[in-house]
Amino acid sequence: MDFALSADEHAFAADVRRFLADHPPDRFPVDGMDAGYGSGAHSRAFLRALGERGWISLTWPRAFGGEGRPLMFRLVLFEELALAGAPFGPLAGCDQTAEAIIRDGSDRLRAELLPRIARGDATFWQGFSEPGAGSDLLSLETQASRDGDQWVIRGHKIWSSHAGISTHGLVLARTARGGRRQDGLTMFVVDNATAGMDIRPIRSLTGEVYHYEVFLDGVRVHRDWVLGREHEGWAQLLRGLDTDRFWGRFYKAPMLTRVLRRLVDYANTTVRDGGWLAHDAGVRRRLAAMATEIEVLRVLFYRIGWMLAEGLPTPYEAALAKVMADEAGQKLAALGLELLGPHAALPPSSPWAALAGEIQHLYLTTMGHTIAGGTSEVLRTTVATRGLGLPREPRART
Amino acid sequence: MDFRLSDQQRLLVTIARDFLDKQASTAVAPAGMPHERGLPADVWREMARLGWPGLLVPQALGGSGGSMLDVVLLVEEMGRACLGGPYVGSAVAATALLLRGDPRARQWLPAMALGERIVTLAVAEEGASFAPDSLAMAVDAPGRLEGVKLFVRDADVADTLIVAGRGAGGLNVALVPRDRAGVTVTAVALMSGENVFAVEFRNVAIDTSDLVGSPGRGLDLLRAALRAGALARAAEMVGAAQRVLELAVEHAKVRVQSGRPIGTFQAIQHACADLLRNVEGARWIVRSAAWNADCPDAGGADSRAADTAVATAKAWTGEACLAVARRAHQVFGAIGYCEEHPLHRFHKQILASSVDFGDASTHLETVAGAIGLAPDAV
Ligand SMILES: Cc1cc2nc3c(=O)[nH]c(=O)nc-3n(C[C@H](O)[C@H](O)[C@H](O)COP(=O)(O)OP(=O)(O)OC[C@H]3O[C@@H](n4cnc5c(N)ncnc54)[C@H](O)[C@@H]3O)c2cc1C
Repeated sequence: MDFALSADEHAFAADVRRFLADHPPDRFPVDGMDAGYGSGAHSRAFLRALGERGWISLTWPRAFGGEGRPLMFRLVLFEELALAGAPFGPLAGCDQTAEAIIRDGSDRLRAELLPRIARGDATFWQGFSEPGAGSDLLSLETQASRDGDQWVIRGHKIWSSHAGISTHGLVLARTARGGRRQDGLTMFVVDNATAGMDIRPIRSLTGEVYHYEVFLDGVRVHRDWVLGREHEGWAQLLRGLDTDRFWGRFYKAPMLTRVLRRLVDYANTTVRDGGWLAHDAGVRRRLAAMATEIEVLRVLFYRIGWMLAEGLPTPYEAALAKVMADEAGQKLAALGLELLGPHAALPPSSPWAALAGEIQHLYLTTMGHTIAGGTSEVLRTTVATRGLGLPREPRART
Repeated sequence: MDFRLSDQQRLLVTIARDFLDKQASTAVAPAGMPHERGLPADVWREMARLGWPGLLVPQALGGSGGSMLDVVLLVEEMGRACLGGPYVGSAVAATALLLRGDPRARQWLPAMALGERIVTLAVAEEGASFAPDSLAMAVDAPGRLEGVKLFVRDADVADTLIVAGRGAGGLNVALVPRDRAGVTVTAVALMSGENVFAVEFRNVAIDTSDLVGSPGRGLDLLRAALRAGALARAAEMVGAAQRVLELAVEHAKVRVQSGRPIGTFQAIQHACADLLRNVEGARWIVRSAAWNADCPDAGGADSRAADTAVATAKAWTGEACLAVARRAHQVFGAIGYCEEHPLHRFHKQILASSVDFGDASTHLETVAGAIGLAPDAV
């Protein structure tokens, strides 16, 4: 066993830190909300800066225009960016879409999209959930029918994060009926500019727009823009979802480390009820306990990353780590609010808000983390059945 | 990074599991019947034959020159079998201390590696803390020891005690034969069925030759022992919690209520998922901390980093494994309340380990300092 980064990985981490010092993340314009996962706000400008360095395509094979670096480098990049609070919101979505296109995309999809993704010019939203299809995603009703070389999509997606500011959606639709529910689904890459797309913002609990609702009315997509095989979208989704749980949460531990550091500074410099917060035994112990939890998360996530790099199966590990990361985030945000005392109730934008309102914002956004990407309940069931072999709950007949 | 066990480590674990599965029925004291001498003598002899007491000892001194990482892998298996005894105290903590001592101290190691000599640490006092700066007993050489050390393990079978205390120029660590005049040992039973001991020192003579290391320089030695002991206890908890998890999952598969296995109920599934989370988290933070403690500079300038890694692992693991035991009680229902059922033994073993070599608050205070919280105003 070896729990340290290699010399090459260390050197790359230093490169990333140097880049961040030369390009202070807070100078980049932001175009979409920081959803609190650890990847910061959505900033096209920052994404393009990463693209210029070749860091979006860092781990793609050279044949596809990548740098061919081992997967561990992506973890290092994510960790350094998250520690610095950089606005790399869309990056994980780009990574996963590119990975799927490289693995399963048509030649045309590869030729048209990969270079744009590598430059930071293409970003993606996920069109899975529908008003009637949340945890039970298989009850989705969006349909696509064939017309020559084209598919024509009709339906209604909801909770699509950043859909209105992305360039393309990954839309899951039913393309055949009659078999099992998981058969006959297809995953489409849909350009936002296609006729028939109606993308409407939904304001979130922070007061900002994060989600969108997307109406697809006769949206035409060429067959070449199917991701993976037609009617096999479910397999495509499962592969994507599991890595989504991993990649979409890997940066949580370093982000929480950054927030913890801010809270430590706050406790060291704040007098409450006649004493320094940092001298309060309860505060010390609870911040320290959070530090231990974050360290556990970091090790577990790196272990999964290593397993993926080794090509080992991870039937439940990402689900387990995601639940843990999201609950740890909620715990730290709640502890942070408690430290803020009466300041806790101020909105993040208030001129009185301590720590620039970051803790309140984080607290609110963490409410969504245990829902998005599979609720903690559904994922605990995954861990119990796939990780421990417990028998499945009898299903209601549908 | 590499999360794979080496071939040698896999072999160590396989042999340990095989051996301990066979011993489990005899080595583990039946509930309510305290061990009289730590372990049955034949089990300890067999462990010695397998080379376990010498795992940390260099080959030149008759051991196998293993690492703390090897130790936590082995001790995890011992915890899974709920095996008590002097291994952690003598073969891990005391050994880690003597390894860093002068040649006079190291001369004890060959016999310890063979399992023929048992050495134990006497640290905590009336305040029941393992934090070095909480120690009040004076240990000066030449001088006399006066006072009581509490929660000393294995004092009934130990040949020698390692006594830590305040010296004129800093912390001192002295080796005191248990049969030296003025030393009295009194057993106190733990819930787990093991004994701990109060060791009373009345006018016990200490000579400069009893000190390990030069006068006033004992802190690093003690720290090394506390790190090793805390890691081993944490590994023991991981093993015990792993066994609890296995038992709970097995129970959830076979216990039928309302016409179906209780493991089909989400309330039970989710409880079991949380047990797995805690066990895996604990296992990997302990291994990572052991790896940190093995780093070449961990004993020197950078021992703070190793102390922090170990404190992190011990604090988190203690809470996580106790939570495993408590939650498992809920999965078992009434059967887990019985003395005959193994659950409470593992629970009590975890409880005992969680407070040995520093409880959660001691370790969390170490972490609090490491993350930069300003020191408490006195
Ligand atoms: C911040 C955020 C971002 C999101 N981004 C996207 C996105 O980009 N694209 C997208 O397609 N979707 C997105 N979603 C939607 C998300 O995938 C769904 O919210 C999620 O799958 C849960 O569905 P639901 O909200 O309809 O809740 P429901 O499924 O109605 O669940 C409500 C409650 O019932 C419980 N429950 C439901 N079924 C079960 C069961 N079988 N067993 C036990 N408990 C159950 C749930 O755990 C939950 O507590 C996002 C959601 C959030 C909050």
